[in-house]
Amino acid sequence: MTEYAIDIVNVTKRYAEHTAVSDLTLRIPTGSVYGLLGPNGAGKTTTIRMILNIIAPDSGAIHIFGRRSDDRALTERLGYLPEERGLYRKMQVRRVLKFLGELKGVRGKEADRRIDEWLERLSLKTPEKDWGLSKIDELSRGMQQKVQFIGTLLHDPDLVILDEPFSGLDPINAQALKDTVVELKKRGKTVIFSTHLMDNAERLCDSVCIIARGEKVLDGAITDVKEQHGQRNIALALEGNGLERVGAILRDHSLVKRADDSNRFFEIEMADGADPQLLLRRIVECGASVQRFEMIQPSLHQIFLEKVGAAAVEDGLTDG
Amino acid sequence: MAKLWTVIKREYLERVRSKWFLIATFFGPIFFSAIIIVPAWLASRNKATSDIYNIVILDATQSGFGQRLAVNIAGDSTAVARMPTVRTVLPGELTKAESVATHEVMDNDRNGYVVIDQQTLAGEAARYAGRNATSLADMERIKNAIRETILGSRLESVGLDNARMKQITFIPLDFSAERITEKGRAGSGMASVLFGFAIGFLLYMSIVIYGQTIMSGVLEEKTTRVAEVVMSSVPTDTLLAGKVLGVGAVGLTQQILWIVTTYILLKLRSPIMAKFGVPAVNFSLPDISFGAGLIFLLFFLLGFVFYSSLYAAVGSSVNSESEARQAASPLMIMIVSTAVFIQPVLLNPSGTTAVVLSLVPVSSPIIMPIRMAVTGVPATELAASLGLLAIGCIAALWLASRIYRVGLLMYGKRPTMREMAKWVTYAR
Repeated sequence: MTEYAIDIVNVTKRYAEHTAVSDLTLRIPTGSVYGLLGPNGAGKTTTIRMILNIIAPDSGAIHIFGRRSDDRALTERLGYLPEERGLYRKMQVRRVLKFLGELKGVRGKEADRRIDEWLERLSLKTPEKDWGLSKIDELSRGMQQKVQFIGTLLHDPDLVILDEPFSGLDPINAQALKDTVVELKKRGKTVIFSTHLMDNAERLCDSVCIIARGEKVLDGAITDVKEQHGQRNIALALEGNGLERVGAILRDHSLVKRADDSNRFFEIEMADGADPQLLLRRIVECGASVQRFEMIQPSLHQIFLEKVGAAAVEDGLTDG
Repeated sequence: MAKLWTVIKREYLERVRSKWFLIATFFGPIFFSAIIIVPAWLASRNKATSDIYNIVILDATQSGFGQRLAVNIAGDSTAVARMPTVRTVLPGELTKAESVATHEVMDNDRNGYVVIDQQTLAGEAARYAGRNATSLADMERIKNAIRETILGSRLESVGLDNARMKQITFIPLDFSAERITEKGRAGSGMASVLFGFAIGFLLYMSIVIYGQTIMSGVLEEKTTRVAEVVMSSVPTDTLLAGKVLGVGAVGLTQQILWIVTTYILLKLRSPIMAKFGVPAVNFSLPDISFGAGLIFLLFFLLGFVFYSSLYAAVGSSVNSESEARQAASPLMIMIVSTAVFIQPVLLNPSGTTAVVLSLVPVSSPIIMPIRMAVTGVPATELAASLGLLAIGCIAALWLASRIYRVGLLMYGKRPTMREMAKWVTYAR
């Protein structure tokens, strides 16, 4: 096993109107769960498509498990779940899965065995009803997502790429997906998923990369990323209507750089060189009753906002 | 190669399993037999309709000519019902008699009337007016009856008796026409025109139907995003080739089933038609040599590849069925304007129009087989046509594969022609 599942070096992809990915360098360790984070239109999907060799970069190089990404032998080790999901509507579930499996080199009896196993595991095949014999468009949306998920994993890929996997999933399927990601990691597989939902990324990922406007903003192991941005954040919760009393303090930019109201507590980022003890003292002095005052690591969400900027998120959302 | 096979297999099996395929395969031969047999049956039915018996003969000759004409129109039958009514009219009252007869026709009591007078006796002129005036067979029959009657009275005037006269004038001529080409005799002229029409129609239909099948197939893969999953496993060129070949094989399967069953139906037409109380049609199937059949097949395949690859490109560039219909209209215009020329080409299969259209790749897959069916085509023209079509196919495939691989990943608004031209230059 090579050290890096994916090794992207100085990759650029331009379209007529804009640069989708600009000089991106990214290393994804084998066996890790990796989050590709960024607002819509940041270049996540383009990056994924280049990894999958659906499109080719204009410049730079991509290696997967040490091989060039255009090596056709690689496709059988990759599994891909695209962002918006759908399957051949009029086709029988088993036949769709056999087709997808065969494209990845799983054929005949072996394919049948795996399909049965997966259908049973995701309760699409029960003693009462075998959904495998139904047509895709007879399935509910949630079941279709399961089928597509099976299609992604049927050939037991070493590298699984999930583009926005949580969008449109109901809580039960979302949990099933998380369980599967954890299990894949335990079996030594590499999982990459792109998302703009920071909570999921924070819980699941070993490492993340944030990209915006086609450029890498930061990357690294989550613990490292947090440490680099840590120490200076404080969680503050007040009893009763303390908010009115401390409002002026939180707006004092010599002390507080940013205060983010998370409803149950404030996530406060200290101004450069400001002393947290001074902040605590002033809050107590103004008469507010402190429930919680804790030095914390910033949430990924905070880091994301700080690095990408709210404007970029809004930009992305409007053309998403 | 294994993946190409996987794609072909899916395209083929999913379509052959569909209800639509079953229905079309079942009704096709019935439809084709009908379009081949019905015109042939009508054409072979040279007999006039029974309309000619219920007419009035206005006889202003004062010579008993009308009575003899009535007998001749009725033919062999002596049944009173088949005998037209004869009214002897004075020349001065003819106008009035005609107006009465006209009203009878208008009231649907009679089908028409014949006017005979001195000019008719002289063999110069006769008139007919009636509902069935446009029926060629009816008019031919009445005209012949008048001629016969004139000839009869002339022979009588030189002293021939009735029996002798019948013997002389009875000519039961059965006229048949057969076509000769460089390769020798080739069945009846009518049959080969019908055959040419059938071939042209079949090619036209399959290009339109299967071209659009491919287009909506590509569109489905694009809108459901299956295309992205498949593209991560298969190069786009393989995917495009698999689609064209898979759907092409469906078309070929259907046509072979159609041709075989139509052939059997035509062979068995007598007992089948007898069941419906229709007399058998005497009509010979043109014999197509194995080589000619093979060339037809080649034209079908190349024409199919040419159009279906362009249809695939259209399907990849749009985002909905309604957009697809709009975007495909240039292709539709190309095919329909070719179909418009089927009839002129059948009438003049060696004219300049026919030759030019059978060389241009846009129209040659339909026009050349038609020409081959109805006339001999020089080998050089055939070779040139196939060569140009093959080049056209390569160009269409090249263009289509470049639009296809970019179009499949482009969502949002429909691209302009200029944008699509730019796609062609994209690396990948």
